[in-house]
Amino acid sequence: MLFFSFFKTLTNQTVTIELKNDIRIRGILKSVDQYLNIKLDDIEVLDLAKYPHLSSVKNMFIRGSVVRYVMLPRSEVDVGLLEDATRREAANQAGKAR
Amino acid sequence: MAFFGFDTTLPRDRDGPGAKGFFENPDPFADIARANALGDDDVIDFEDTYDGLGDQLPDDQDEFNDDTFGGAGPDKSVGRDFDFFGKTAQVSDAIGEEQVRFSLQNPNAGRVAPQPAQVPVQPTAPQTTKRSGYEKYSDPGYIPDLQAKSSVWGVSQKKAEPAAAAAAPSRKMMSLEEVEAQMRYHGHTTATPAAEAFLRSMVDQSWVPQPQHLPTRPDGFPPVHLDLLQAQMKQGHLPPQMPHPPPGMPELYGGPGHMPPGAPLHMMQNANLPPQNMPPPGLRHGPPQAQAQRPQQPQQPLQHQVPPPNRTSNNGMPVITNPQQLMHLTEEQRNTYLVEDAKRAKRNHKIFLLSRGNGLMTPQDKNFITRIQLQQLVAAAGNVADSDPEAVLAEDFYYQVYSQIRGAPRQHPHQPLGHFAQTYLLQTGNRLGGHRRGNFQSADNHMQRMQQQVQRAVEAAKAKPKNKQLIIEGSLGKISFSNAKAPKPMLNIKRPDSSEGPKPKKQSDLSLSDRKSILTNLEGVYSALMAMEDMERTMPPPPEEGDAEAIQEHMEWRQKLHSLNQKLWRSLKVMEPIVPNSTTPHPFIAFLSYPKGKKAIPRIFRHIDQEQRVTILTMIVVHLDSLDVVRLAQPVPGEAQPSLAVREAIDLFSLAVMPCLLGYVNEAPFNIIIGLLGLVINQTHVQTVARTKVGLGILTMLLSRAEIVKEAGQASEHDWQQWVEKFNVLFDTLELGLNEIFPGSISSGDDMYVWQFLAAVGIGASPEQQQRLVIAVKDRVMETVGYSKTLPADMGSQRLNNVNLFMRAIGLDVELLG
Repeated sequence: MLFFSFFKTLTNQTVTIELKNDIRIRGILKSVDQYLNIKLDDIEVLDLAKYPHLSSVKNMFIRGSVVRYVMLPRSEVDVGLLEDATRREAANQAGKAR
Repeated sequence: MAFFGFDTTLPRDRDGPGAKGFFENPDPFADIARANALGDDDVIDFEDTYDGLGDQLPDDQDEFNDDTFGGAGPDKSVGRDFDFFGKTAQVSDAIGEEQVRFSLQNPNAGRVAPQPAQVPVQPTAPQTTKRSGYEKYSDPGYIPDLQAKSSVWGVSQKKAEPAAAAAAPSRKMMSLEEVEAQMRYHGHTTATPAAEAFLRSMVDQSWVPQPQHLPTRPDGFPPVHLDLLQAQMKQGHLPPQMPHPPPGMPELYGGPGHMPPGAPLHMMQNANLPPQNMPPPGLRHGPPQAQAQRPQQPQQPLQHQVPPPNRTSNNGMPVITNPQQLMHLTEEQRNTYLVEDAKRAKRNHKIFLLSRGNGLMTPQDKNFITRIQLQQLVAAAGNVADSDPEAVLAEDFYYQVYSQIRGAPRQHPHQPLGHFAQTYLLQTGNRLGGHRRGNFQSADNHMQRMQQQVQRAVEAAKAKPKNKQLIIEGSLGKISFSNAKAPKPMLNIKRPDSSEGPKPKKQSDLSLSDRKSILTNLEGVYSALMAMEDMERTMPPPPEEGDAEAIQEHMEWRQKLHSLNQKLWRSLKVMEPIVPNSTTPHPFIAFLSYPKGKKAIPRIFRHIDQEQRVTILTMIVVHLDSLDVVRLAQPVPGEAQPSLAVREAIDLFSLAVMPCLLGYVNEAPFNIIIGLLGLVINQTHVQTVARTKVGLGILTMLLSRAEIVKEAGQASEHDWQQWVEKFNVLFDTLELGLNEIFPGSISSGDDMYVWQFLAAVGIGASPEQQQRLVIAVKDRVMETVGYSKTLPADMGSQRLNNVNLFMRAIGLDVELLG
C-alpha cells in the first residue's frame, strides 16, 4: 500500500507519466487507486506530433499496469517521511511473511 | 322490525332524503380529496394495466344466455345466492368486530378510555337470542354492507380525531368550512407527529401485530385483511372514507393528495397480519352489526360534525358510501362518481402492485444482505476499513502523516480513500438522517450496529489465518484463492528454517565498520526510533495517586520505552571501544558519515537522556578529525573548495547535527566543556580541525559557552584556571595556522563562521593574546574590508559585519580602519 499511499499525496499535482509504449503525458493527477490506475486531468502529450490522435484528449484514465514512470514534483515529496514509510512497509511485509 | 333496537329498514324502504344507512354518513373529507384529485396525474394508466382480454370475448353467441341463466326480463330481480363473498365478508366483519370489542374490553388496552359508551351496549346484546350471523340474508334483496375500512387509512384521521372531538363533543353540526378550518389548525400541530409515526413505521417495518392499536381507530373498525381489501378493489368498490392529508402533511408520494400517505403503509402492515390475530369465529357473541351502533356514540365526532351531504356538499355531490346510493343519484352525479371511483381503483391497484413484495424480507434478512455487501466492500477495499488508527497508520503511513504535516485536502477525518466501507457507512448515515429528518433513533442504532459488525467481521477476517488454498477431494490440484492484496502465488516455495542460518551472525562478527553492517546498524537505529515514536504516541496518561492500575500501566510503558532506548543505544554503537590508530573508523563515526545517519541525530537526541547526549558529543569531539565532514573537508590541492558531495555533507552536518550538539553544550556544566576542550587538544589534530567549518564550529561552541559561564559568574576559580590553561594551549597551537583557517581565497564566499570563531577566541583571550590575534589576521581583515568595497552595497556590508563581529570582540571596529 506504500505506493498507493504515496501517490495519494500527489493528487492535484502536475505529474508526467511515461507509458510503456513511450507516450509521455503531463497532467494533473486527479486520483489513484489501489492498482495504481491513474486519472489525469488537463493533459498534455509531450511529443504530440508523434501521437496526433491524442491531440484532442483532455483527460484520461490510465491503467496502472501500463505505466512505466511517474515523474513527480520534487518539492511535493517528503523524503524523510517517505524513508520512514518505506521502513514501515518493509517491517509490515516482513511481519506478514513470517 | 328491529333487531336489538337496530333500524333494519332497508335503504330503499326509507323515506326522505334524510334517512340513510348507518354507513352512509358522508365522508367529511371526500370533497377535499376530490378537489385535489383534479390535479391527479397517475403514473399507471388504466389502459396500461388492463390487458384487453375482455375485448377478445366472442359476443355473438349470447342469445341463449337468458335461457341458460334464467334471466327473463330487466325487471326480474336477481337473486343473491351466488354472493359468497358477501357472506364471507359478513363473517369476517363479525370476526373483526369481535376482535375490536375484545380488545376494548381488555383492560390492558389503555386507549379505550375515550369510548365509554361502548361497554354499556354489551349487556343489552341478548345472549338469549340465537344468532346465526345470517339474519341479513333472509332478505333476498340485501346487499352486504361493504363499508369503508377507515382503519386502513386511519393514520392522519386518528390524529385529527381527538382534536375534533374536543372541539365538538356534542352532536353540534358544523359547516364544512368550520371542519376544514379546524383540520387546518390541528393539522399543523398534529401533522408532523403523524408523519413521523408514518416514517418510523415505514423504516421500522416490524410487522408485529399491534392489537392495542386497532381499537383506537376512529371508527373502531376491525383490522382489514389484504384479501378483503383486494376483493373490494376487484369489485371496484373502494373505501370512500379516505381522509385527506392534513395541510401540514408533506406530499410524500409525489402525486397530489388524493391518496393519503398512510394508506400504503397500512395496507402493507395489514397484509402481514397473521390470520391468528383474529379471534376464531366461535368466540364472537356480539351482533355482527355491533359497529352499526357506533355512529350514534360520541366517539364518532368526525362523522357527526358533518351535516348530511345533500345540504353541505358545495358541489351538490353527495358522498357515496354504499352502492345503493347510486340508485338515487342523477345520471350526471353517477358518472362523476364512477369516474372518481375508477381513479381510486386505479390508484389502489397501483399501490397494491407496488406493495406486493412488501414484507417478503424481514429486517433480519435485510441486515444480513447488507452485511454481506459491506463485507465485500471491505474485502475489495483491502481490509483497511477498520477505524483503528494504528492499522490505518500501518497501511497508509505516508499519506496519513503527510496529510497531517502538509494539511492535504480531505473531506472529513476518515477520508483515506481506502477507507471505503466506513465512508460508505458514514454517508449512508448522513443520507438517512438528512432525508428522513434525522428523527429515527432505531435507524441510527442500526447503522451503528452494522458498523460494529463490519468492524468485527474485518477483525475476525484478519485474525483468522487465511487458508490460501483449498484441496477438494477428488480434484487433481489445489485451488488457490487470490485477491488484490494477496495475488495467487505462482510458486509455492517454503522458506528455509531460520535455524540453519548462522551466516548473518558470522557476518556481523566480521567487522563492525564495513558498509553493510553500518547500514544495518543505521536501520536498526531507525526502527528503534520509529518504535519509540510509536510508543510516545501511545503514552498512557500520567497516573493519579492511588490508581494502582494506571501506575502499573505507566510503569510498564516506561519499562518498554527504556528497553527501546537500550536497543537504540546499542544500535548506535557509541559505546564500542575506541581503538586508537585503527584504520577503520569507529562504528558511530562511520554511522555519522552517512547522510541518513546525520539526519537521525536530531531524532535520536529527543529520545535519549543527558548522559547519552554527552557521550555522543564526547564521541564526536574525540573523533573530530576522523569525521568525514572534517577529514574530507580539506580541498584537494589545486581546487578552491571540496567536492560537491562533501560540501553537501558539511551542510547537512551543520544543519542536522550541530544544532543538537549546540543545544546540549549550551546547558552543559563547565567541567564538561573543559574536558571537551582538553579532548580536542589532546586527541585531535587541532590544525586540521581548525581548517574546517565543522571543526571551527565545535570549537566556537565550546569557547563561547565558556565565556557565557564566566560572564554569568558560574565558574569556580579552580575550573577557570583549568580552562585558561587549556585555552592557552589551544591558542598557541592555532596561532601558527590562523591564516589557513580561512576558506580558500577571499572571494570564495562564506567565511562568517571563521569570524565567529575568531570573535569567540578574541573574547576569551588575554590582551596580549588579542594583540597576537590581530597581528595574525590583520592582513585578512584589511583584504576583506578592501574587497567589500568592490562588492554591491548589501553584500559588502555583510562582509564588513562579519569582520566587525571579530573586531568588536577585541574592542575594535572596522570603522576605525577607515
